[in-house]
Amino acid sequence: MHIPDGYLSLEVSILMSVVSAVFLVWCWRKAKAAYPKSFASVLAVSSAFVFVAQMLNFPIAYGTSGHLVGGTFLSIILGPYAAVLSMTIVLLMQALFFADGGISALGANIFNMAVIGGLSFFLVRLIAGNSVSGKRFALGVFVASWVSVVMGALACGLEIGVSPVFSQAGGIVVTVPAMLFWHVLIGLGEAAITTAFTTQLYRLQPAILNGLTFFKRGAS
Amino acid sequence: MKGYVKALIIIALGFAILAPFASTYPDGLEKVAETIGIEEPEPLWKGLMPDYTLQTVENPYVSTLLAGFCGMILVLVLSYALGKAISKSN
Repeated sequence: MHIPDGYLSLEVSILMSVVSAVFLVWCWRKAKAAYPKSFASVLAVSSAFVFVAQMLNFPIAYGTSGHLVGGTFLSIILGPYAAVLSMTIVLLMQALFFADGGISALGANIFNMAVIGGLSFFLVRLIAGNSVSGKRFALGVFVASWVSVVMGALACGLEIGVSPVFSQAGGIVVTVPAMLFWHVLIGLGEAAITTAFTTQLYRLQPAILNGLTFFKRGAS
Repeated sequence: MKGYVKALIIIALGFAILAPFASTYPDGLEKVAETIGIEEPEPLWKGLMPDYTLQTVENPYVSTLLAGFCGMILVLVLSYALGKAISKSN
């Protein structure tokens, strides 16, 4: 879902950069001082995990693949705000060093994957209803991670659809359904992987799931 | 600290084992562009390891593996710094 250079109009690039910058500042403020010292190691390892997981594409259907985005996963481990920041680091490194996602599309990519992914945490909490274990938690993680990929694809479809390169080929009427079609399927992979990993981590190492403290704190 | 090192080794090993099986099919967005008939434009900035390969390494597996490890280290260092920055004040 990483948008390369050349797909977005200047207006969309700028708009999405501003929107993402506002979210990043907000997340930075919310995340600051909310964590114990040991948190830096958890943040580092989980971000590194997401980076390599994103390199492992799984086949979906009809010669198309997808990979874990990892926003919901990070939000369970780090909480929603630090998850947005962590994913932003991953996207920044991908754009700077690996030509995965264009530099000019970074703002859009941050919104589509980091912001939507990290904030999908609130959907987990809504469904789990403050219970941090058991079936409702697993269901919340499954649904939220699927929704985060589908919403990211929707945003991506809109962003490219209103930009000239794709608007000449039909615009959002074409790009949105096409993006949704593939990502409804890719999202299932995201949901399966995220649910498996988070429920296992909950069983083995519940202490590292910093995101769970955001359940108890209520609406903060 | 030890637990984190262990986790990193598991992640690196898991990546080394799974990397050869990663699908080379286009991803969702690439497929959409392909179907519509839009070619991916040249990136404005190619980076040092475009498409997760080291240009100087011939073997594609080793090349991807090293690029992945480089990325891991970059992400590790930066996010550790971020973690220190946001957990410092308490």
